[in-house]
Amino acid sequence: MLTNVFTKTTFDRWKPPVIAAVSLAVLLLFGMAVYRGIDVSFWDDLPEAFRSVFGIPAGADVGGLAYGAIYSGYGILTMAAVAIAGGAVSIAGEEKNGTIGLLLGDPVSRTTMALSKAAALAVVTAGAFIILWLTGLAAPMMLDVEIGTMDVNALIVMMFVNALFYGFFAFALSGWTGKSALAAGVSAGVMVVSFIAVGLLPLIDEVAGLAKFFPWYYFSGSEPLLYGISWRDFGILAAGVVVFLVIGVVGVNRRDLRSQSVGTKMIDRLRANPLTHKAAEMLAGTARVSKIWIKTASEHQALLYVIVPLVFLMSVMIGPMYSMLDDTLKSLGEQFPETLLSLFGGGDMSTPEGFYQIEMFGLMIPISILVVTIVIGTAALAGEEKHNTMGLLLANPVRRSTVVTQKTWTMILYAAIVGLAAFLGVAAGSLLGGLGIDMGNIAATCVLATLLGLAFGALALALGAATGRTQIASYGAVGVAVVAFIINGFLPLNDSTTAWAKVSPFYYYLSSDPLTNGMAWGHAAILASLFVILVVLAVVLFGRRDLRQTG
Amino acid sequence: MTDEIAIHCDGLTKHYGKVEALNDLDLDIRPGEIFGFLGPNGAGKTTTIRTLMDEIRPTAGSATIVGLDTHRDSVEIRRHIGYIPGDLAMYPNLTGKDTITYFSNLRGGVDWTFVDALADRLEADLTKKVGDLSTGNRQKVGIIQAFMNKPQVYMMDEPSSGLDPLVQREFQGMMKEAVAGGATIFLSSHTLSEVQRVADRVGIIRTGYLVAVEGVQALRSKAIRRVDLYFDGPVDATVFEPINGVRDVENRNHHVSLSFDGSMEELLRVATSNYTLTDINTQEADLEEIFLTYYREEV
Repeated sequence: MLTNVFTKTTFDRWKPPVIAAVSLAVLLLFGMAVYRGIDVSFWDDLPEAFRSVFGIPAGADVGGLAYGAIYSGYGILTMAAVAIAGGAVSIAGEEKNGTIGLLLGDPVSRTTMALSKAAALAVVTAGAFIILWLTGLAAPMMLDVEIGTMDVNALIVMMFVNALFYGFFAFALSGWTGKSALAAGVSAGVMVVSFIAVGLLPLIDEVAGLAKFFPWYYFSGSEPLLYGISWRDFGILAAGVVVFLVIGVVGVNRRDLRSQSVGTKMIDRLRANPLTHKAAEMLAGTARVSKIWIKTASEHQALLYVIVPLVFLMSVMIGPMYSMLDDTLKSLGEQFPETLLSLFGGGDMSTPEGFYQIEMFGLMIPISILVVTIVIGTAALAGEEKHNTMGLLLANPVRRSTVVTQKTWTMILYAAIVGLAAFLGVAAGSLLGGLGIDMGNIAATCVLATLLGLAFGALALALGAATGRTQIASYGAVGVAVVAFIINGFLPLNDSTTAWAKVSPFYYYLSSDPLTNGMAWGHAAILASLFVILVVLAVVLFGRRDLRQTG
Repeated sequence: MTDEIAIHCDGLTKHYGKVEALNDLDLDIRPGEIFGFLGPNGAGKTTTIRTLMDEIRPTAGSATIVGLDTHRDSVEIRRHIGYIPGDLAMYPNLTGKDTITYFSNLRGGVDWTFVDALADRLEADLTKKVGDLSTGNRQKVGIIQAFMNKPQVYMMDEPSSGLDPLVQREFQGMMKEAVAGGATIFLSSHTLSEVQRVADRVGIIRTGYLVAVEGVQALRSKAIRRVDLYFDGPVDATVFEPINGVRDVENRNHHVSLSFDGSMEELLRVATSNYTLTDINTQEADLEEIFLTYYREEV
């Protein structure tokens, strides 16, 4: 019995971690190949404060830069997020799908089921880390890079236990509450807050000690790549995994199973309350369903609750942080290799504009907008077909093209809201830090970021329109975005390939350095045209196709 | 012609690659008619309805609804249609009322008094989220949204799945009232008793081919029934064999049992002219038997 639930879960869940690991492995090889050619002798002179932001240990040579940037930078964030996704659906996912009753209709105890799910989570995560480990060991040999005393094994072990920590945190919440969205949301929130806190708190002497109250500290604090495994920290994270496992198993045993149902939100309580009924009814009922685009907006509002505050607060924080950082940083900025910065979106460290470009505009802001546009673009057509509601929607006298354009309006609105949050955040950060960045230039950069996001959102929309499959729409758009990002980041490093960067939409986002130079109208026009062409394509493709029926 | 025919299919064909889901469907359905569309699972019922709704496009052939082309004029057609898809799915986060508001907004308004009346008749709770409703209660919301605009044509794919018998009966009443008002109902169903009760004509589809279209009364009168004749003494059963429509005669001494789809008058004449008939028992013709016969037939 155990093997049945275990093997089925493993089979269902192996793809995301393995895809993430393979992508990261490729990125590592790519990054290491690039760093190999750079003189990074200045690295040791960089202030501690700066390195801690990037999570790159002191004393590392070229290889270390790649491990630090790719593996212990966004690599571990990605792997932990994938583990969270797996942990969150492990038990609650079956409840959400309404399959848990059927599963437990077989002679399987809840404990067995939960343990099987946990084992599958651990095994698929381990499998992904084996890929990262083997690539981590092979990369320096393949590329003839000297990594000195760096302990890749220790880094991988600590990354693994750290990813499991957050995965099992989500597992515990999933088992205890039966709510997969809550489990994923809370775990991801804890992870992000913890990651940021452990990155930033040590920069400020008065509060540096607080970092150890955040679990991420026990992964990065001991700098495993440099100093090997800290068994104390490993033990703390591993103990956390065990405790979460127990909580999840006990949790699912002690409560009523949830039937397939939808959660009760705050607005639902307000609707039920006679005092607030009328106002809530306007908001949640009549108004919400008055137009296709408004209903679509209402469906995706949770995205904004997470992303808007995150983008805004981080954008604000960077301003004062820049002014607090040591002046040496500014002088060192001139020596900083362009190559390394290109990974983070490029930018000149010695200026506030450059610092903002690296910290926010390089990755954080475009990713935030892309997440929103791709989610909406995917759900717009393919999502509605996946849930079998498209037929009913189109039984009303609305054109297919109307459905596409209405949902596109929602995408534009949401991208603009995130873009606006970025603008307000950066503007406030610049004011707070006294950086004096030109407001018009901030606005221009945010507009370009929004247009970039819309182009990829429209790609997801068009892929969904062509196929009706959410996986093709979302993976396709994300895949193209990652490739485009890498092309734009790396091709300019070599003179013979520089021109090819222009095939990447990312080129038209930051290559004109809009934060310094203001709006590049030509680039904006190219991104906007790309968006319009893809939307038109979506309208045409969707109009010609048989609707899918799933289920 | 267009005024006479509510739904007209002309060689309607849908193939998915090598899978022939629907082949050369010719069909006319008149206004004021409930047309029962019957067939085993996977026969092509849903494919037909989805093609008529322009969800999928025919490989060959064409169709009109109220005289309008189902593909070219599909948006206009949908102003006149109420639709319940098979395997009904709706937006789980919306309440029944939200769902109906949404669709009514897309249709330019709805008479809420009528919606409330429909909800009362079906005992539907429109304040709950659709995702929290049971299958039957969710189906009620689907029925209400199909009926709310008093459409000319109803396209319904297994509309009564999940409904309890009382609500089913109410729903059948609603269908009869709709056609009494001149509407047309295309009713795809497995529930033979329902079709038997409400439909004027039935079409039987099997492996993508329409194999029969008959009036329900005509079908029933043609139906083979089992007749048991009881006599006061032993009889020679062979006297029944020459009668038109008689088959499978079994002689059980005082009791003759036979399958019969001919004229009852002739049978009774033979029975009473030679012997003394003490009792007769005939089973009511049931559509189920007829359909099972059709379903089982070899192609």
